[in-house]
Amino acid sequence: MTTPTTTAPERTVSLREVGPARRGTRPDEVVIALSPAFAGHFTKTIVDVPHAEVLRQLMAGIEEQGVTARLVRVLDTADLAAISHTAARLSGSGISVGVLSRGTTMIHQKDLPRLSNLELFPQSPLLDAPVFRMIGSNAAQYAKGESPQPVPTRNDQMARPRWQAKAALLHLKEFDCIEAGRGPVEVEAVFGPGTAG
Amino acid sequence: MSAQPPPELTAADYPLSINRPDLLRTPSGKPITALTMDAVVSGELSATDLRITPETLQLQAQLADASGRPQLAANFRRAAEMTAIPDAEVLAMYNALRPRASTGAALEEMADRLERTYSAPVCAALVREAAEVYGRRDLLARPVADSDQ
Amino acid sequence: MTTTAPRPTGAAAKQSLRTELLEARPVNLDGFVEEWPEKGLVAMESEFDPAPSVRVEDGRIVELDGRSRNDFDFMDTFIANHAIDVASAEASMAIPSAQIARMLIDPGVSRGEVLAVTRGLTPAKVLDVVKLMNVVEIMQGMQKMRARRTPANQGHSTSARDNPIQVAADAAEGALRGFAELETTLGVLRYAPLVAIALQVGAQVGRGGVLTQCALEEATELELGMRGITAYAETISIYGTESVFVDGDDTPWSKSFLAAAYASRGIKMRFTSGTGSEVQMGNAEGKSMLYLEIRCILMAKGAGVQGLQNGSISCIGVPGAVPGGLRAVAAENLVASMVDLECASGNDQSFSHSAMRRTARAMPQMLPGTDFVCSGYSSVPNADNMFAGSNFDTEDFDDWNTIQRDFQVDGGLRHVREDEILAARNKAARALQAVFAHLDLPPITDDEIEAATYANSSNDYPLRDVLADLKGAQSVMDREITGLDLVKGLESAGFHDVAENLLTVLRQRVSGDLLQTSAVLTADFTPLSAINDPNDYAGPGTGYRLQGERWEQLKKLRHVTSSTNPETEVG
Repeated sequence: MTTPTTTAPERTVSLREVGPARRGTRPDEVVIALSPAFAGHFTKTIVDVPHAEVLRQLMAGIEEQGVTARLVRVLDTADLAAISHTAARLSGSGISVGVLSRGTTMIHQKDLPRLSNLELFPQSPLLDAPVFRMIGSNAAQYAKGESPQPVPTRNDQMARPRWQAKAALLHLKEFDCIEAGRGPVEVEAVFGPGTAG
Repeated sequence: MSAQPPPELTAADYPLSINRPDLLRTPSGKPITALTMDAVVSGELSATDLRITPETLQLQAQLADASGRPQLAANFRRAAEMTAIPDAEVLAMYNALRPRASTGAALEEMADRLERTYSAPVCAALVREAAEVYGRRDLLARPVADSDQ
Repeated sequence: MTTTAPRPTGAAAKQSLRTELLEARPVNLDGFVEEWPEKGLVAMESEFDPAPSVRVEDGRIVELDGRSRNDFDFMDTFIANHAIDVASAEASMAIPSAQIARMLIDPGVSRGEVLAVTRGLTPAKVLDVVKLMNVVEIMQGMQKMRARRTPANQGHSTSARDNPIQVAADAAEGALRGFAELETTLGVLRYAPLVAIALQVGAQVGRGGVLTQCALEEATELELGMRGITAYAETISIYGTESVFVDGDDTPWSKSFLAAAYASRGIKMRFTSGTGSEVQMGNAEGKSMLYLEIRCILMAKGAGVQGLQNGSISCIGVPGAVPGGLRAVAAENLVASMVDLECASGNDQSFSHSAMRRTARAMPQMLPGTDFVCSGYSSVPNADNMFAGSNFDTEDFDDWNTIQRDFQVDGGLRHVREDEILAARNKAARALQAVFAHLDLPPITDDEIEAATYANSSNDYPLRDVLADLKGAQSVMDREITGLDLVKGLESAGFHDVAENLLTVLRQRVSGDLLQTSAVLTADFTPLSAINDPNDYAGPGTGYRLQGERWEQLKKLRHVTSSTNPETEVG
């Protein structure tokens, strides 16, 4: 695996709130749910994949299957299962993709128990742009009622010594960005050019 | 099986399998020395012959007490009571003790059942203590009528 | 091996050649972070940890570490009700921490005298004591407080393909090399019955009396144990804060109930905990990693479980990344031992890119000796390790043996001659072939046996028909196959000695001897526990010493030049 940051030009993204998140009615949508600090307090994943790139790839993966992506931000929890399940229940298709700031990602479905999921990608250091695109594509296929091959999961035994503590630190920071009592909000991604240096 | 009171053991009796095999029986009453290869081959033994008895657990509890381990001894006494409970019900009771899995009334019922059906007062006390703490720490399941939100 | 590149060095400022060299060193692939005590990202020195206190009224603890009973969370309640000896608590707590710390390292004070004090201590007091100790003092304490006099080691035997023949062959080799306990787990959980059978058969071929376990979710793990396919269990996790404990869907009471359930079936069991788990899950409640781990240790004590696997375990990357982290990890092992629990002391997860750091991490357990120095030395190549990799694997066998010989320290393993290893691997595969045939499971071919004899990793074996194996695995559960059926299969195929070994292990559960603290089975099937092999360390020349026949064994290495004829090697 090469360093993920080389796979795309540096771009930035900010999330503009457009009001409380509503339950969708279109059966051909996937809701992407972002954690409290995503594209806000943090700008990139644990291995420096820009959040702009994460979103661009997820959305492209969904759209290439002819499905619409809708974005929400969940503010009152940093628990990936809770974020993803909340979004699945908002999704017209019942399918969601939840993403934490550090990159950990999950595909969820509204009829599954909260602590279950369709696909989980727990090793955030191993998630790069192509993986995010495949995740988007798979989510869209689930939304269409298909049964895609799960995205191949990678494993790296040395991810623990390299990344475990930083992941814990990022998790704690994400916790600090929680706004208790605020419901999920609809957001628009505003992409900008990369800033130099 | 003898009707004699259980012997007073000291740490020097350990290990029982070597020093006191005379005290060890299987649930069907066979002496531990009857667990031979010949008995296996001839089909005289079943899997239940390889289970521990409540009497043996009480002996191990004595040994734990005699070596200064009262908590371990208490665990063996709960275990002695539990030998009577079928495997599936043991697992069901464990699951019922998980957080927010049972109402206070359900835990009280379980404690009653442990006492009445299985003569398990030590286990029942553990369940009642759990119910009291769960009540205080909001770890009981809500009664069914209120839980549908 | 890593899939991540070295971190970028930022600006293109010119570097010295030496800096370039240092940047490329494996240790710089490890992650390090600053402390954040407010959130609990700190090893063992935090101003946010409570001050020790206890108050007893009417035979009940009503205040614990600054909290009164009304404000107790469930950990406080459980520890106050079950772990602390109420009768001696106030007297023990009145002893200055420095004096207790000195007792721990003073060879003139016996282990029993220390236990008489520690049984009355609160979590904060225990922390206050070990905070006074540097790592050498912690090791001195461990040398005396380890429950069993004779140290031992535990191995992982798993397969990346869940190949039962590999697990049997590697279990046999591991048992022969000295592991007293062997543990497996699965990639595909449904393979569990076949792999657990393979582990048991292989272990009893390598050395009769080795205990085996299969780490699974609670219900299946307990069921395999109840059937006598496995001999013990240890993946019963506990946590140091109420919120994380509840996130794990358990409480101290549910886990205590489970502990008694295992004992009621005659099965040895220990809990698992470790520094870093709470902060990793984001709910350390602002307490240091070691303080929370001490609460776990006392909870385990209160549950009446005989032992604990600790030493950070799967969270080792967290204490490993903060200052003083490995001192805290050494301290948590000491605390388990100083409250009289069996301690299976970690060193069981991939920890560092640096060979130097990997070795250093194990010294505080290996040098003083613990009940199990590793709670999972990988006795398969790490690529086959389904516990996500251990701190040591098969490639490190000769290094480990050499370190034992260098320091005259018993780390539980030994060098074994190639012909013995090949014979054991071959026999284990053949014994499993016979058992599979007896149980009408998918056949094991002679090609697979040949491969198992000489293999290193799962890649060296013919591929199995996985679907057929999984069907067979299910049938083992459906037909309620037990350990006794394995004995019959081995006996009827002429593997009389292996059948006898397994029957003797099964017979142990009727006696309950392995339920006592730190129990293992010796090669002659004597249960060896803290009762009949108590640690009697009392200074130089006492306690466990590596000498006699065992020392002669450990003097052997793969290549040692003969002093009689320096043109040859001995061994």
